[in-house]
Amino acid sequence: MSGIIAFIRKFYFSVLFIFLEIISLVFVFSNNYYHEAGYFNSSNKIAGTIYNAYSGFTSYFSLKAVNHQLAEENARLLNSASEIKDTASHKKIAKTNPFGQQYNFILAEVIDNSTNLPNNYLTLNQGTEQGIGEGMGVISPAGIVGIVVKVSAHYSVVMSLLHKKASMSAMFKKSGTFGTLAWGDKMDYRFASLTQIPMSEKVKIGDTIVTSGYSTVFPKGIMVGQVENLKPIPELYFYVVQVKLSTDFKNLRYVYVVSDLKKIEKENLEEDAVNSLNEKVK
Amino acid sequence: MIIDIAKNILRFFFFILLQVTIIRHLDLGIYFNPFLYVGAILMLPFRMDKTLVLLIAFTTGLIIDMFYNTMGMNAAACSLMAFFRPSILRFYSPAGEYNADANATIGSMGIRWMVSYAGTLILLHHTVLFYLEMLSFHNFFTTLLKVVLSGLATLILILITQSIFFRNAS
Repeated sequence: MSGIIAFIRKFYFSVLFIFLEIISLVFVFSNNYYHEAGYFNSSNKIAGTIYNAYSGFTSYFSLKAVNHQLAEENARLLNSASEIKDTASHKKIAKTNPFGQQYNFILAEVIDNSTNLPNNYLTLNQGTEQGIGEGMGVISPAGIVGIVVKVSAHYSVVMSLLHKKASMSAMFKKSGTFGTLAWGDKMDYRFASLTQIPMSEKVKIGDTIVTSGYSTVFPKGIMVGQVENLKPIPELYFYVVQVKLSTDFKNLRYVYVVSDLKKIEKENLEEDAVNSLNEKVK
Repeated sequence: MIIDIAKNILRFFFFILLQVTIIRHLDLGIYFNPFLYVGAILMLPFRMDKTLVLLIAFTTGLIIDMFYNTMGMNAAACSLMAFFRPSILRFYSPAGEYNADANATIGSMGIRWMVSYAGTLILLHHTVLFYLEMLSFHNFFTTLLKVVLSGLATLILILITQSIFFRNAS
């Protein structure tokens, strides 16, 4: 025992250094898990406040691009609203049942964003108090953005699609053939790659890619982007499709956090079922 | 003495704020990710206890990690840098000893000394940080290029910041 103390005294600086390195590396690797709670992320109060103040100052520079995005979205929504009105008046399905709405869209402002790191995150100025929870999808007026990974009361951190670990299911709008969408190695903020598309699929440059809706994160049919080019991998009988993302990640200002109301309902139901089962066992 | 401590603390706030607001949003492409904030650690007094420097560096790294959502990566890089700082200081020590009132600035030590001292430690810091960020040696040379180019950007930014704001800092 006294030998250990003497050793530590002699090499305390190196021991302290190794100790700090181990702590850091534990942080690095434990942070890879999805549901890691903790205050050391940009959803905490200090980081949030600073980012909020800074973005309040710089937001003026992107006003033009943001206005354009919002106006385009407005036009698209007006079109689809009039379509719904038409079908409603003809088929009389105007009376939606109170549980008919499946998705709730929570408006949030992007107060911090990056596109040039291997793992990019966004910080939003809304948190649990506005109903945001971990695992929810985030979309912009133009298309998908990412997934909420950390939430505090007033801020949340979103894993951008521009992240090495981001992957989601996406499909061809025309045929419904789906594959896995990931950012890939090139680290270009304008593109992502869609893999595992069978070679039987007739892919054309310019084809539209949308979310498949197979996970509960994103609703079906949210815009992802368009086919830029494709590379066949004959030995796997797959295509790797390069997708030009419709979201302009450099000019993100307003986004919507998608909360799936039925997901909560489903989770509650499952919980109830498990609880009642447990009671019966007792 | 108290003024010196206050100056050092203020310098840290200044560098960290500059890093997480302006530098973070410079957006110079994937090869240039400068980490100007290491300048605050480089500019700590030569005579400061090395254990204290190590702890300060670790904490600074954690704060930057918090803003970048890169939990632990900057902390690991900064700790390594602080661990090697005494040896690097000894290695580049001028003939004789460091003057009692000398500090790590261009004004005090000259541009050549500053470039070699800061350059070496920045390279160490960036190597750890960028390889941890990739978590693999898969794109070894791309990452190496990033280390070198970003290190160069960091060095230049530190020299510019110094010549504007810390002409005769203590």
